[in-house]
Amino acid sequence: MSSLADIFSLNLSPDTKLYLLLSTPQDINAMSLMVVKKILEVKCTPLVISLNQPCQVLAKSYAKEGISPDQYYVIDAVTHYSGGTCLPNAHTRYVNHPADLTSLGIAITEFLHQMPSPRKCIVFDSVSMLLIHIPSATASKFLQFVVNKLKISEVSGVFLCVENGLDPTILSQMSAFVDKIVNYDEQKNPLLSKHGL
Amino acid sequence: MVFDRIQTGILIIDPETHTIIDANNHAESLLSIKKDKLIGKVCHDFVCPAHCGQCPITDLNTPLHNTERTLIAANGERIPILKTVAQASIGERTYLIESFVDIRDRKKAEKRRIALLAYLNESVLRIKKPLELTGENLRLIEQQVGSGDFTTEEIRMQIRLQFNNVKTMVETLQDLASKAAEERDDIPENFREFFIGK
Repeated sequence: MSSLADIFSLNLSPDTKLYLLLSTPQDINAMSLMVVKKILEVKCTPLVISLNQPCQVLAKSYAKEGISPDQYYVIDAVTHYSGGTCLPNAHTRYVNHPADLTSLGIAITEFLHQMPSPRKCIVFDSVSMLLIHIPSATASKFLQFVVNKLKISEVSGVFLCVENGLDPTILSQMSAFVDKIVNYDEQKNPLLSKHGL
Repeated sequence: MVFDRIQTGILIIDPETHTIIDANNHAESLLSIKKDKLIGKVCHDFVCPAHCGQCPITDLNTPLHNTERTLIAANGERIPILKTVAQASIGERTYLIESFVDIRDRKKAEKRRIALLAYLNESVLRIKKPLELTGENLRLIEQQVGSGDFTTEEIRMQIRLQFNNVKTMVETLQDLASKAAEERDDIPENFREFFIGK
């Protein structure tokens, strides 16, 4: 397991770094927000792929932390799915359904080309929510496709997931294609995890 | 002949030369070869995958009693079998009596069972953690309602999102229940139809 300090050094070029971040369900939203903040701190532009919260809600959570909408990009796969209005925005793309992997893949490709920043990092929020809609094997193939795209484009990526929420086969596959797996709670409470608490 | 009426393949083998002396009808049928083409053939590399000099009975002295082995049919198909080998004296000579039962159906059922267990496990993972996450999201929505920072539409959208997610998880559960019901044979037929929803 790597330290968070190491993760968020995000030495993007020439090395692309890919992380799988695990946390409890209670911490995953806080972790997502913290990841975006850390990415911005290292002068990198986050592209948030949200399967967990509509972009309007994300924008408000980010605004509370002093993050303005022009600092990040969002691919929103849940606003349409939850019957919300998809407001056109240069920094936001909408996908009709979280299981629409083709549209999700196209949106990622197009946004990565469109984002002007030389330093980009995608935040996939989250693998656990993706698994509601598609089987693990399909999710694994899709994530492998995303990882390949990131590696080719030399873009870093952080995949968020609820701990113990992955099929062991998928976890081993993901372990193979990410650089590091980090347990957020172990990093948050090193003493507790050291004592197995 | 009694042996030709039973659903167990029987081969009589000469332990010194490993040639097949006799076979019953079921052995012929399993091996997909006529008896006249079977008799006189050496058993290893023909009906048994063991190579010459590695006969489990005569060379390796391994007793075979209802042991899982493989039978090679004339068309090359490898058939999983339960094999028993006993020695018997016929006249003044000792022979090996090989009897085997085809367990292809049992193997298929085992594979299905393992696949089902893997599917059950995977489906539970696809429901358990997302449900915990949904619970957490609902708690956050509750806080948002009290904060006054979020519009009614934003709250509604989030509740609808959680509702849709729960609906999808219920569908996964229903699918899981159907798959499990298809495998269980202790469910009465009428209830099974209701359970599977067919």
